[in-house]
Amino acid sequence: MPLSQSNIRFEKVSKAYGTLRVVDDLDLTIDEGEFLSLLGPSGSGKTTILMMLAGFEAPSGGTISVGSQRIDPLPPHRRNMGVVFQNYALFPHMSVAANVAFPLEMRGTPRLEIDSKVARALDMVQLGAMKDRRPAQLSGGQQQRVALARALVFEPSVVLMDEPLGALDKQLREQMQLDIRALHKRLGLTIVFVTHDQSEALTMSDRIAVFNRGKIEQIGTPREIYDQPRSRFVAQFIGETNLVEGTLAEAGDAGATVKLEGGGTIRVQPSDLRPEAGRILVSVRPERIRLGPDAASENAYPATVTDAVYHGDHLRIQLDNGAFGFVAKADRKTAEFNPGDRVMVSFAPSDCWMLPA
Amino acid sequence: MSETSLKGRLGALALVAPLVLFLAIFFAWPLVSMLKESVSDPVGSHAFPLTAAVAGDWDRQSEPPEALKQAFVDDLRAIDDQQLLGDAVRRLNSAQNGFRTLMSRTIRAVEEQPEGPLDLVAVDRRWADVRFWRAVADSTNPYTDRYLLAALDYERDASGRISALPAETSANTAILLRTLGIGAVVTLACALIGLPYAMLVASVDGWKRQVLLGAVLLPLWTSLLVRTAAWFILLQEQGLINDTLMSLGLIGSPLPLIFNRLGVVIAMTHVLLPFMVLPIYSVLLSIPRNLMPAAASLGAPPWRAFLRVLLPLSLRGVVSGSLLVFMTAIGYYITPALIGGAQDQMISSVIAFYAIGSANWGMAGALGAILLVATLALYTVYGRLSADRAGGR
Amino acid sequence: MRAATLFKLLFGVLAVVFLIAPLVAILPLAFTSSVFLTYPIPGYSMRWFNELANANVWRMSIINSLIIGTGTTLLAGTLGTLAALGLRNAGLVLPGLFRTVFLLPMVVPAVVLGVGMQVFFVHLGLANSYAGVIAAHSVVAVPFVVVSVTASLAGIDRRVERAAASLGASPFTVFRRVTLPLALPGILSGAVFAFATSLDEVVLTLFVAGPNQRTLARQMFSSIRENISPAIAAAAFLFIVGTLLIAAIAVLVRRRTEKMKQPAEA
Ligand SMILES: Nc1ncnc2c1ncn2[C@@H]1O[C@H](COP(=O)(O)OP(=O)(O)O)[C@@H](O)[C@H]1O
Ligand SMILES: [Mg+2]
Repeated sequence: MPLSQSNIRFEKVSKAYGTLRVVDDLDLTIDEGEFLSLLGPSGSGKTTILMMLAGFEAPSGGTISVGSQRIDPLPPHRRNMGVVFQNYALFPHMSVAANVAFPLEMRGTPRLEIDSKVARALDMVQLGAMKDRRPAQLSGGQQQRVALARALVFEPSVVLMDEPLGALDKQLREQMQLDIRALHKRLGLTIVFVTHDQSEALTMSDRIAVFNRGKIEQIGTPREIYDQPRSRFVAQFIGETNLVEGTLAEAGDAGATVKLEGGGTIRVQPSDLRPEAGRILVSVRPERIRLGPDAASENAYPATVTDAVYHGDHLRIQLDNGAFGFVAKADRKTAEFNPGDRVMVSFAPSDCWMLPA
Repeated sequence: MSETSLKGRLGALALVAPLVLFLAIFFAWPLVSMLKESVSDPVGSHAFPLTAAVAGDWDRQSEPPEALKQAFVDDLRAIDDQQLLGDAVRRLNSAQNGFRTLMSRTIRAVEEQPEGPLDLVAVDRRWADVRFWRAVADSTNPYTDRYLLAALDYERDASGRISALPAETSANTAILLRTLGIGAVVTLACALIGLPYAMLVASVDGWKRQVLLGAVLLPLWTSLLVRTAAWFILLQEQGLINDTLMSLGLIGSPLPLIFNRLGVVIAMTHVLLPFMVLPIYSVLLSIPRNLMPAAASLGAPPWRAFLRVLLPLSLRGVVSGSLLVFMTAIGYYITPALIGGAQDQMISSVIAFYAIGSANWGMAGALGAILLVATLALYTVYGRLSADRAGGR
Repeated sequence: MRAATLFKLLFGVLAVVFLIAPLVAILPLAFTSSVFLTYPIPGYSMRWFNELANANVWRMSIINSLIIGTGTTLLAGTLGTLAALGLRNAGLVLPGLFRTVFLLPMVVPAVVLGVGMQVFFVHLGLANSYAGVIAAHSVVAVPFVVVSVTASLAGIDRRVERAAASLGASPFTVFRRVTLPLALPGILSGAVFAFATSLDEVVLTLFVAGPNQRTLARQMFSSIRENISPAIAAAAFLFIVGTLLIAAIAVLVRRRTEKMKQPAEA
């Protein structure tokens, strides 16, 4: 990836509250113009990282810099980053227009220019008509867009968002995801986006950093994170997966063979993973599993349907083959499945991914 | 910057510092002065500094040493503040009868012979009596437990042992007990009215709840004096209550409602009732609304659901409210002073009498110390209870 | 069931009458033409309000109450507001201790505090002075300010202040443009409480004020004690009307701020 002039760098950053280490020795570089999501369960330190970047928390150790300048000694109001807070943090005593005008006033922008910029920012989020209302008179989605307009109106190059869509209902959330994504492209913004919603991270980001207990478990493109998880935590946190335990029997350029606990083997795609004791996990995504009497593959197993649940666009099928259990997602058109049915389960080696046990 | 940085800490301290300083000077210091008054006895040590210096060498039992007698004579020769001397004589006389005449004779003798040793026994035979010297020596101790003991109707006898005051002079215990008694009755009355009232408020909603709550809040916001004046008007002999009862023919002559215990309890219950209703109400509000239906669905008839669910849950509110009411009641001054008779005065009235009426700071301070300790103890319990409730959820 | 409802109704009415009737009963007597504070009222007149306005003791006491009340409001309001801001700061050590100490003046019996102040003020040279009375009233008024401002500060979402900082506002600007306006209802109601406390304060006034600082409440106290007259009812009338006015304003302010704070999320 090209290193640009004003990337954001965390170097050996940690944060502790008393004895509790919330962020642990974090090294992270965010490129200019990148859309990076910080994804992790609640309490994993995402907000803390964002607040350190915005200047509301001081790191206990390490440095944060933008380009060649260290920013950790700067107070928040001198960092020039747009921040969209969880629950928006609009000023309840100011009108929508006054909220959006606030950062411009702080920068001493002339009145006339403020008015035109505010109008433009509100038009951008389609709220021009609401400019004289108080935040409490807006719907959640509208408040969200005011917060966005307010964070963008002073044209910061970096925008930080802390679960900005968490309080919205599903439909509105998806609309806003598209809107934010479009703004990112159009304005060339660097966006650091905190979320605990993995599908949101997958659809919006250039890269995702998956956090667990204050540490980055894995960082990469959505595709890498989803298809090539490097730990059990990532595999289970991003999407749903089947994990089967075994030992690495043989590995080559064409692929590897894993011996399963309960007998049998699985062929998996090639990997550099060489575990010490040979113990290994194989991850197979439910939607990659094919079901049918005639399944033909290197990996094919007979199994019994123990449960089948209707999900509208797909069926979720619970399978058991004696040695291990599977979850599969089946297209509704393929067939009907009922508990007790015997089926063949198969999956391509290219859909099987090895990770350390 | 982080809010817990050193700068943040100093900023926070700088914000609370003015109030801390203000309360230290105008709140804590006055209380300390009051406590000091209750144990201080400065007159003797001021009037007789030389005697004070040697008084410690004497065991108070044997014949007083010559040095003590000489120091006392020298002190009498040196003293020129007539007011201080007068105070000292009064102080000595209160410890040992007869000092008034003894001292005036002695002072005259000292004035006649301003130099050299003086045979005090020749001046007055009472100086041969060890008890008088003991009183002199004791008076030079700047601290005393006299007031604190007297506040509880005790005294030290001639040998220094603590003993109860004779019944006819022991008024303070009776007043303390009366204070606690009135406080208890008022608390009980408030609980008996307040608990059902709070339950009633919590059981209705809309305008009914607003009216019921307003009826509690309006008196709370109204001046205490206005409320007491109102009760004065209602309770007096030609007051509205007596008038109404007489015109209804229920009574032939006016009931005595004012300047007695009944009037004090009625008025104080009215004044303190909000302090009972509001804590109970806030507890009731925190009880999930579906608890009673849940109990009913489990087969409890309404009265059993009430006894087993609502009552136990509201009890912490009753306890908080009772502590609050009792604590406030025992410190009350205005209502008993205006509505009560001489037999209904509580400890605060006695304190005010000593402080304003007779400038006896020692007694005022000692009784004040007792009231202060009792109040703070109750407040500590109250604080524990509310902390438990906040933390236990 | 019907009997229970009837009983509830009866109890409710009786209790409300007990709570409110005394306040209502005193009001008409303010307009009596008689010199007695008794019903029935022989005729109506404004003579007792005239008495309040013109009789020297009453007029002086009203003026004194206004002076001392204003002083107390300013002093307790400032100290209490600053302290509440400090209490909210995460950097404060032992916040629980400070909070407890700030509330203690509400707990200590007034007579006890009065004795202490009388002794201490003589040493300090504050006895029988306006400054002394204002300081004494401020001690008992300040807890109300602290409680009220603390409550309104607790209602401010910290993220709103952080948002202002992230948008370029310096700490002082954040305070002036965001924290202060949002805390204003609490500060105002704290100030009203402080004024009301001072207006109603009798006991401390008895101990620390001289004849020149005799307040309205103090004057009412001695007049009930010594020579009760319908002037008391007229003063009480003013108190009650004032209370109702303040309560109405408080309710309006609360309505407005709640409407402002209430999120409209579905
Ligand atoms: N001011 C604080 N004091 C103590 N612990 C804190 C503070 N702020 C956050 N924490 C703790 O730090 C951890 C990470 O919090 P946070 O960064 O908010 O997580 P996330 O945003 O990923 O949910 C949590 O365990 C939280 O309890
Ligand atoms: Mg968070």
